[in-house]
Amino acid sequence: MNQIELSHIHIFKTNINNDVEKQKISTLLNNNPLIEDWSVDCEDVDCVLRVVGSKLLVSDIIKIINQAGFFCVELEG
Amino acid sequence: MNEHSFIFVPEKLRIRDENKELAIRETALKMLVEQGFDGMSMQKLATAAGVSPATLYIYYKNREDMLNQLFTHVHETFAEVALKNFSPEMSLEQGLWIQWKNRARFITEYPNYFKFFELFRNSPQIDHCKVNMAAFKQSMQLFVKNAIERKELKKMETEVFWSVAYGTFYSLMKFHVQEKSMMNKKFKVTDAIMKQTLKMVVKALKQ
Repeated sequence: MNQIELSHIHIFKTNINNDVEKQKISTLLNNNPLIEDWSVDCEDVDCVLRVVGSKLLVSDIIKIINQAGFFCVELEG
Repeated sequence: MNEHSFIFVPEKLRIRDENKELAIRETALKMLVEQGFDGMSMQKLATAAGVSPATLYIYYKNREDMLNQLFTHVHETFAEVALKNFSPEMSLEQGLWIQWKNRARFITEYPNYFKFFELFRNSPQIDHCKVNMAAFKQSMQLFVKNAIERKELKKMETEVFWSVAYGTFYSLMKFHVQEKSMMNKKFKVTDAIMKQTLKMVVKALKQ
């Protein structure tokens, strides 16, 4: 198990459900210096977006994804 | 903990819960062994393990990531069990005895781990570059090398050595796990049976 601080991991439900759509957010997330790592599970019904970063704000991530034209809400643990 | 822990409470406090991690891992292994990779989904796993999907995604990015992390954990557990009280300096017979005993313990104490390992060791979904087997492999190779240098063991292909030294053992353990022999009567591997088999194996391997 990786040793990332668990509170630095943010989990969202989205509607990004294929690689073409994933590509649309890829540049935005890759170029964000606050984002250490991210992934989308397109296989899952909730198309779960997982973002890692110690200084990230949940609201900022939602804004980025919304602006790219996708639905995004935080999934509570 | 430092003095600030009492003053500063983060907006969202997530505490690493070892029991939760363990429950997720054991449930995932059981599901994968019983239903295969195609039969499991992150949602199904979350329900079965009694955690929210969000919690599951804290630990794993997706099914492939989970499978790979589980494989690493299972291999580390196997290596730990297999190397207990073992030294590459041991004689061929003594070393093999320890290996057989340790591996038998792994099969009986971690039945799902063993089944998982058998199912996924050759799976294309496992990224073998990420699994560090170096220490275990090194120890096994050194044991064989030492036995050859001591002229205890004939020189042979690794595959031939493995088939005789371990293939025999795993065949025996298969009957043990199935609890029946070819004659369909109850069969259990005892220390005496294991010793008897080992004697024949060592005799075949010796120079």
